[in-house]
Amino acid sequence: MQRKIWLALASSLSVGAVAFAGSANADVGIADIMGDQSTTEDIVSYGLGPRAQRYSPLATIDKSNIKNLFPVWSFSFGGEKQRGQESQPLIKDGVMYVTGSYSRMWAIDIATGEELWQYDARLPEGILPCCDVVNRGAAILGDKVFFGTLDAKIVALDKDTGKVVWRKTIGDYEAGYSYTAAPLIVPTEKHGPLILTGNSGGEFGVIGEVQARNPETGEMVWSRPTIEGNMGTLMGAESTMTGTKNESWPGDMWKNGGGATWLGGTYDPDTKLAYFGTGNPAPWNSYLRAGDNKWTSARIAIDPEDGEIKWGYQTTPHDGWDYDGVNEFIPFDMEKDGKMVKAGASADRNGFFYILDRTNGEFISASPFVQNITWAKGIDENGKPIFDPDNRPGNPAESADGKKGKSVFAIPSFLGGKNWMPMAYSQSTKHFYIPSNEWGMDIWNEPVTYKKGAAYLGSGFTIKPIFDDYIGSLKAIDPATGDIKWEYKNKAPLWGGVLTTAGGLVFTGTPEGYLKAFDDETGEELWKFQTGTGIVSSPITWEQDGEQYVAIVTGWGGAVPLWGGEVAKVVSYLNQGGSVWVFKVPEQLAAR
Amino acid sequence: MTRLKHSVRYVAHLASSLAISLTVSLCLLQASHARPLDEIIDAGRITFFVYSDYAPYSWSEADEYHGIDVDIAFALGKKLGVEVDILMRGADENLDDDLRVNIWKGDLIHRKVADVMLHAPYDPEVNARNEFAVLMAPYFQEKMAVVVDRKAIPELKSFGRFVTNPIAVELDTAGDFFLSNAFRGQLQDSIRRGRTFADAIGLYMDNEVPALMASRAQTEWVAKIATKRDSYIAQPPMPGIVRTGWPIGLAVKHDSRDLGYELQELLSQLLDTGELQAIFEQYGVEYLPPELN
Repeated sequence: MQRKIWLALASSLSVGAVAFAGSANADVGIADIMGDQSTTEDIVSYGLGPRAQRYSPLATIDKSNIKNLFPVWSFSFGGEKQRGQESQPLIKDGVMYVTGSYSRMWAIDIATGEELWQYDARLPEGILPCCDVVNRGAAILGDKVFFGTLDAKIVALDKDTGKVVWRKTIGDYEAGYSYTAAPLIVPTEKHGPLILTGNSGGEFGVIGEVQARNPETGEMVWSRPTIEGNMGTLMGAESTMTGTKNESWPGDMWKNGGGATWLGGTYDPDTKLAYFGTGNPAPWNSYLRAGDNKWTSARIAIDPEDGEIKWGYQTTPHDGWDYDGVNEFIPFDMEKDGKMVKAGASADRNGFFYILDRTNGEFISASPFVQNITWAKGIDENGKPIFDPDNRPGNPAESADGKKGKSVFAIPSFLGGKNWMPMAYSQSTKHFYIPSNEWGMDIWNEPVTYKKGAAYLGSGFTIKPIFDDYIGSLKAIDPATGDIKWEYKNKAPLWGGVLTTAGGLVFTGTPEGYLKAFDDETGEELWKFQTGTGIVSSPITWEQDGEQYVAIVTGWGGAVPLWGGEVAKVVSYLNQGGSVWVFKVPEQLAAR
Repeated sequence: MTRLKHSVRYVAHLASSLAISLTVSLCLLQASHARPLDEIIDAGRITFFVYSDYAPYSWSEADEYHGIDVDIAFALGKKLGVEVDILMRGADENLDDDLRVNIWKGDLIHRKVADVMLHAPYDPEVNARNEFAVLMAPYFQEKMAVVVDRKAIPELKSFGRFVTNPIAVELDTAGDFFLSNAFRGQLQDSIRRGRTFADAIGLYMDNEVPALMASRAQTEWVAKIATKRDSYIAQPPMPGIVRTGWPIGLAVKHDSRDLGYELQELLSQLLDTGELQAIFEQYGVEYLPPELN
C-alpha cells in the first residue's frame, strides 16, 4: 500500500522523478535477475530470465478465463516518431521500463498508466541504420536501467529519475556501427556482475564483438571479437586472439569479416556461460572468401570471467545467402531416450531448428521448421549442412558481360525462417513455440551497379511468399523429436516474439494488429485483441497485487516494410503506431 | 567542351522518353518535398550531397569541406546566385540506395535530403530503375587505375605483378571487387584493404605497399600528395572488370528536373571558361570529358 501512495504522489507531479528517489523502490540484485523466471511479481531481464525461455509459471489466467482478458490502459509513445516498436518492457515495483523507436525510454506507473519519466537520446547526423530505428529493450541492475542507442552507445539511467549516470561508446556509428538489442547482465566471481552487449552493423568493415562492462561505471572489463585473427581485451590489455588467423578466411579479409552480434545474448546459470549468435560474413559474395569464415553465422559460448570463447558452432559455414544467424540460443534441460541432456536450442535464419549440448557445443540434432528448404539438402550427423551447389547464388564476377547472370530461388529468404523475434520454451508442455515465416528469394547477379561512384557487379534479390494464403507460421515443436505439433498460419509475416505460461497459453502479436492467445497443446486460437497498429514486439506477463497482467508494445515497422517485393502486398496498408498496452482479467471475472 | 553540350542534348532526349512513366509515378506518390528551381532561387539556398571520405572529390577536415565536387558545388551556387549547403554522408551499398537516402526519401532518422547529388554515375539503366530520381548532366569521365612507385615496380603491364607484390585498396570498393576476383583469386593474399580511402593511402605513403588501386582521379591525387614516392599512373588490362570507364553526372528529384537542366547549362559554361578544368587541376587531376555512346 505504501508503494501505491508513493506512486500516486509521484505521478501527480508533472515531473515525478525527483520525488521518486526515496526508499520505496528496492534495488535490483543479480540474484533477482538469475531467479527472474520464478519470481512472478517482476520482470528484470530480457526473456523472463537469463535463459530467455519466455515462460512464466503464472496460471491465474488460463484457457478457461482468457476470454475475460481486457485492456487496463494504453500508453502512447507520442511525437512524430513512430516506426517499428520491437521492445520488451521490464517490470519492477509497480513501474514499467519500456524502450521505443529512435532510442527512447519511458518509466510508467503501472497502477495508473501515467508517465514517470522519459529519456530521449539525441541522435547525431550521419547515422544510417540499415534496418529501421528499433530498440528491443533494457536491462536493470541496482538503481540503474541500461539500454543501447542507434548511435552505438550504451546509456545507464537512474531508474527512479531517468537521469544519465554514464554513457559509453560500443562502436563508431560513422563506421557503420549501431545498437538495438537488450543488454545482458551476468554474474562473475572475479568482477561482480557485468553488463554484456553485442554490436550491430551491416556494412562491410564491421567486426562482431561482445563487450563486458562494469555496470556501476561503464568501464570495459573485456571484449571479444567474433572473427578469427582479431584480438580480445581484458582489463585494458590485449588478451587472446579469437581462433587462428587465416584458418577459415583468405588474405586480410578477417579484418573486416562481419559476424555482428546484433541480437544480444542469453546466459545459463548452470554452465555459467553466455551465449551469443553471430551474423553473416562480409562481403556478401561468398566466392571472394573461401573457407568457413569463422565465427560468422554461428552460436558462440563465452566465459564471462575473461571473455574467452569456450565453444562455437556454425549453422551456416561459408554463408552465401545472408543467413544472418544471430538467433537466440535458449538453454533448457531435455529428456531424450530416458536421459536428461543439458541442451540448448536455436531456430536459425537458415530454416533449421538446432539442438546442441550447451556445455560443449556438440551437435545433437537439427530439423527443418519451415517448409521446402532449398539451400541445403539437410544437416548431416556431424551438424554440417549438406549444401546443394545448384542453389548457391552465382558469383557476380562471372557475369561480366553485363547480363543478368545465374538466378537462384532460395528458401528461406534472407529475412529467414526466423528473424530476430524470440521463440519461447514451455516447461509445462516441453515444447518450443517458434514464430517463423514461409518465404523464399530470387537472387541474381545484377548487370551493373555503382558503389561510391564506381561501377561493379552486385546482386539483386526479391522476396517471394511460398504459399498463396500465408507467410507467417507459429509452430509448436517437440525438441526431442523435431516433430511439429501444431501450426497457426498468419497472412502477413510474423515479426514479434512469443510468450508461454503455466496457464497453458501461448501469446504472440501479428502485423495485422492482434495480440493473440493460443492453446499450448492444440494451437487453437482462444483470444485476440486488436491494438490498432502492427505488433512486432515480445509480450510479457507478471503479477501485481494478486492479479496477473499481460503487456505488449505495439507499432508496425522493423525490416519487413523496408524490403517490399511481393511481401509488400500483404503489409503495405498497415499503419504505424507506438504504444504499450496492458491487460488483465478483472477481479470479479477471474474468480469464475 | 563540345562533348558536354552533346551530352546535354542526349540527357534531354532520354528524359523525354521516360516522361510517361514518370508522370504515372508522380500521381502515385505524394512526393517528399521536392525543390524545383523557383523554390531554390526564392529561398536563396541550395543543398548539394557529396560523399564523405572521398578525396580528391569530397572530404571534410577540421570542419571544412574540401574537394573537386565541393568546389563544383560552390561554383554552381555562385552562378545560380544562391548560398550553398553541403550534405556530406557516407556511401550506402549502391547508387540506388544513395539516391533514395540523399535525394528522394531521406534517411530514417532525420529525413534529410539534398536538392542535388553530385558524383552520380550517369547510366541509363540505373536511371530507368529509379523512378523518383533523375540522372543528368554527365560532366566528366571516370576510369580505374593504379598508382605505382617507380622504384619498386618500374613498369606495370599486368596485374600479375600483384601475385607477389602487395597492393592497397579501399575496402569494399570497385577496385577491391576487381582485385579479389582477378586471376581466380590469386591476388587475394596480396590485397591490403584500408578501412577508408585515407587508410589505403596511408599504406602507400608509409611504404607498406608499392601500389594502390582506385579510380583514376584518386590515383592522381595520391601521386600528388605522396611526395616522398616517385609515382606514376598505370592502367594495365583489367580482365573481368565490369567497366573500364563511365561518365559521372548529377542527380535531382524526379520533380526537380528544371533544376537539373539549369545546372547542366551552368556546367557547360564552367567548361567553356575553363573553370571546371581548373578545379580538377588544383587537385592534380586531369579533366577528362564524359564519353557517351
